[in-house]
Amino acid sequence: MIFEQLMGNIVQGLILGAVYGMATMGLSLIFGVLKVVNVGHGAFIMVGAFITLFFFNTLGLNPLLAIPVAFAVGLAIGLLFYHTAIKRLLNAPELATLLATFSAGVLLEESIKLIFGSEFRGYNWDIGNIDLGFTALPVSKLYACLGSVLIALLLYIWFNRTRAGTAMRSVVEDSEGARVCGVNVQGAYAMSFAIGIGLTVASGVLLTMFIPVGINPYMGGGYTLKAFVIAVLGGLASPYGAFFGGLVFGFIENTSYTLFALLPGVEPFALTRFLSFMILLIILLIRPTGIIKAK
Amino acid sequence: MLKIEKLESGYGAMQVLWQPSLEVSRGSITALLGPNGAGKSTLLSTVLNSVKPWGGKVYYKGEDVTYTPSHKKVHKGMALVPEGKHLFPNMTVYENLAMGAYLDKALAHKSESLDLVYTLFPRLKERHSQMAGLLSGGEQQMVTISRSLMTKPELIMLDEPSQGLAPKLVSEVFETIRKMKYDIGLTILLVEQNVDASLDSADYVYIMHEGSIKAEGVTEKIKESKDITSTYLGV
Ligand SMILES: Nc1ncnc2c1ncn2[C@@H]1O[C@H](COP(=O)(O)OP(=O)(O)O)[C@@H](O)[C@H]1O
Ligand SMILES: [Mg+2]
Repeated sequence: MIFEQLMGNIVQGLILGAVYGMATMGLSLIFGVLKVVNVGHGAFIMVGAFITLFFFNTLGLNPLLAIPVAFAVGLAIGLLFYHTAIKRLLNAPELATLLATFSAGVLLEESIKLIFGSEFRGYNWDIGNIDLGFTALPVSKLYACLGSVLIALLLYIWFNRTRAGTAMRSVVEDSEGARVCGVNVQGAYAMSFAIGIGLTVASGVLLTMFIPVGINPYMGGGYTLKAFVIAVLGGLASPYGAFFGGLVFGFIENTSYTLFALLPGVEPFALTRFLSFMILLIILLIRPTGIIKAK
Repeated sequence: MLKIEKLESGYGAMQVLWQPSLEVSRGSITALLGPNGAGKSTLLSTVLNSVKPWGGKVYYKGEDVTYTPSHKKVHKGMALVPEGKHLFPNMTVYENLAMGAYLDKALAHKSESLDLVYTLFPRLKERHSQMAGLLSGGEQQMVTISRSLMTKPELIMLDEPSQGLAPKLVSEVFETIRKMKYDIGLTILLVEQNVDASLDSADYVYIMHEGSIKAEGVTEKIKESKDITSTYLGV
């Protein structure tokens, strides 16, 4: 019985982990290329969640269709944000971009609150379960997982097989070297920032499949913190590292939740959160560059 | 080929270039010499617009390109081999060279450019599948020079290409620079600390000190005027 529950949590954890991983790739991409930490990360996820609500509740459409739209909205927000603020702050002390991304997050949260209010919302996309014997897997979560893997693969192909992606890699390796090869370095910065935000907003769509009634303007904070743990697990600057960091984190979170629930008198949710940050602290102490060696 | 007029630039509030003017004529090797901190690297970066010009003019083939973005300058045939290598350490030698052929114009001539750099540096052909970051200092310098040649330049600006190399490799680098001029027909602006070797190869020499040009002349003249060489070049 406990074994079955644990098996179930491993599978559920990996499925959630793939989505967590995808939800951190944007953060790592932006850090890897621009050395900017997007402190407002979770707010962009929240925007994706509201886009999903609009698709399902207002338009009555399949929430998966919100993914490309959320990505496009993220690209647009990312470009706007890059050209109005980030571009001017790249040579300033790091605090400047921290404050800028923090403010952007607050601005998004308050704008959404102004329009939609701050109560919790949700939607119910019930398309059945798959019975694995030891656990029943909602098909919607499976779609979210497959979507995440697919997006991660597309990003990989784009990076390694296209000219724009190769240019981006060269900027990560040495921006001055890229410039003398004729790469438009400013353009590459703008593009990777926009793609990073696009991925993050799109991940907001996938994450809603795990929080049936958890959508509100301030939902992002927890995701920002988790993304930091995952990014550090994955080696900070590598989007693929982040993806694997997400798998590990989802697994730890789900499994520890089950184990903590077995302890008498313990509130498993709070303890799981505590454990996540213990992991972050421990990693930062022993290997500040992250667990998975960035390529 | 390249004409620089009263260029000004710097970092933050600190001005580094105080209106140096110089000219590089087509097919020549023009050397820009001067002590550390004179602003030579800043000059080259400002010419490419990777450091923003504050004032003055840069003309390339008669065209005002002062504020043209770097990548468009590379497209026009201006190449810079930056100081301190700046290659892509986690890419192979071949991938580094291929990045040099990133622009369409260079891509069209990729295989002939590759033949050219493999003829200049046969070692790179042997090492083509090695990670560039694992090469020796001399080999890395060959990669950086070759990567710039892959951009199909007409003007190549080299920033201390012999820096930190063993004497045997230094003469190999200068040999390559002469080949660039005589065999490939490039125009060369050479920044160097190695005064003797530069004076042996250059046609024309500028001497920079504290952000401006203090002396210039055909190489023989500069060699002869002992007060110039002793004041600015410590020879
Ligand atoms: N990236 C930079 N930021 C701030 N100051 C710089 C930078 N690069 C060079 N400098 C300063 O500009 C001056 C000229 O440097 P540089 O152009 O590198 O001289 P050179 O190449 O002749 O040795 C020096 O005082 C140096 O400290
Ligand atoms: Mg220098």
